[in-house]
Amino acid sequence: MAMNDFGKKLFHDAREAKETMPAIISSRIRLARNLADAKFVKYACRGDLRAVANMCEKALSSCKILDGNSVLNVCDLQEYERTALVERHMCSQEFIVDTNESRLLFTPDHTVSIMINEEDHLRIQIFRYDLNFRAMFDRINAIDDHLADNLSIAFDEHYGFLTSCPTNVGTGMRASVMMHLPALVITKQINNLILAVQKLGFVVRGLFGEGSEAKGNFFQISNQQTLGLSEVDILSRLTQIIKSIVDYELNAREIVKKEKIVWLYDNIGRALGILRGCYSIASSDAINGISLLMLAADLGYLRGNLRWDLNQIMMKIQSSHIQVLENKALGSAERDIKRAEILRNFFAKIPDLKFE
Amino acid sequence: MEKCQFCGKPATVHMTQIVNNKTTVVRMCSECAAKHGLFDKDGLPFAMLSSLGEALFAGLKHSQSASGLICSRCGCTPASFRETGRLGCPNCYKDLKLLVDGIVESSQKGAVHKGKKLKSHAFVDGGDWNTLSGGKGDDGRRKKMSSAERLDALQEQLDDAIREERYEEAAKLRDEIRKLKG
Ligand SMILES: [Zn+2]
Ligand SMILES: [Zn+2]
Repeated sequence: MAMNDFGKKLFHDAREAKETMPAIISSRIRLARNLADAKFVKYACRGDLRAVANMCEKALSSCKILDGNSVLNVCDLQEYERTALVERHMCSQEFIVDTNESRLLFTPDHTVSIMINEEDHLRIQIFRYDLNFRAMFDRINAIDDHLADNLSIAFDEHYGFLTSCPTNVGTGMRASVMMHLPALVITKQINNLILAVQKLGFVVRGLFGEGSEAKGNFFQISNQQTLGLSEVDILSRLTQIIKSIVDYELNAREIVKKEKIVWLYDNIGRALGILRGCYSIASSDAINGISLLMLAADLGYLRGNLRWDLNQIMMKIQSSHIQVLENKALGSAERDIKRAEILRNFFAKIPDLKFE
Repeated sequence: MEKCQFCGKPATVHMTQIVNNKTTVVRMCSECAAKHGLFDKDGLPFAMLSSLGEALFAGLKHSQSASGLICSRCGCTPASFRETGRLGCPNCYKDLKLLVDGIVESSQKGAVHKGKKLKSHAFVDGGDWNTLSGGKGDDGRRKKMSSAERLDALQEQLDDAIREERYEEAAKLRDEIRKLKG
């Protein structure tokens, strides 16, 4: 079955900056805003929510930065279509659960997405594949100014922007970076690093398998505090932390090259073999393989700028993306077969590894 | 084997969070993690910026010390905060200040906003909810405050105002109570 309009919009990803940075997958800034004269979403009735959604949509429609945007009524979507939006980081998991009057606005290039009626009336989000919080903040701030000019936003001199959960109050801003840290995992430095980052007031969320064996080597670092610090404070601290983590990771890669070179070649080589030859593959196996090939791309073992394509393929093999691509709900066994097909086709075109 | 803090099955996901030097570890099974948006169906990590952690670490214990408060605007109480993990409206920051300040103290860097300011802003006092949805009423998702509850809340605020020698506010509250009593 061919992709429907939703699928075409989802897969039309023209995010401009195709630059990638070693160890960085993507970065985001999110602002939480509420209307001053309305109940917060969790306590509002359907009529209130509809009124809020209409007011927000109207205010956003005159915003130049959002030209050409699409608006989705989340309740009109199939379950796997909703989850695909989460997989693509265009909205949160919470947003797709209770879909009463939930609307998602996004720009054609997917860099800006705005959740209307998540737990706050407005959650504005900006996305990039590299690290440039300054440019991102300028843009998201301009959208925020536009909203403040056209809506009465809940703000208090003492508490700042008022949010439905006090853990977001103040700037209402959450900035996060998704990082790829395979060498810190291989050299077992990751746990110490996580502790150090957390002591600085930032949150590391990684997902761990049995014991402390990390899966996929992906970690997200974000600010915990939103009150008592300015936006620029938060963003510059986070940037500093991210830059030092990148340095640690690059150092660790040198150590791996020196001390575990056979292990490295062997694992990268096997990963490519599996991805080229599989006929049914679980997503966790796929993600581990792609992680190793991302490392290979960063280390120059793969010719061409393949890091970008690897980012994209990692997105596309997620369960709901596969179902959007097929335009129907699929069981897990069917997904594994389809996932293998996508991976085989992609990795068949990849040139052979060239080790030093 | 460590157990999931939500359902007791073996835990495979560990989240550690340190706020103001206090460490909290949350252990979950992959099903509960999926339920909270930490995994997709095939176990792939996505949407890791879940508000689960925020709610868990928000210092919910403060909802007890602040019992007795009620938002005069939306009827939200510390108990409803404990249940939902969320406040009811912007005015809750005023009427449930004790609760808010407890949570802020345990989760935030400072107590005062240092970021972007709005040019025109105000704590909206005594506006009318009905202006928003054209007077459409309750559909059961929110609890409406009875006039008796509202009287109690106002009386409590009045007592506070007098105790803290905020006489101007006290006078306003007294007027409002008189009006309600008819
Ligand atoms: Zn569980
Ligand atoms: Zn309230």
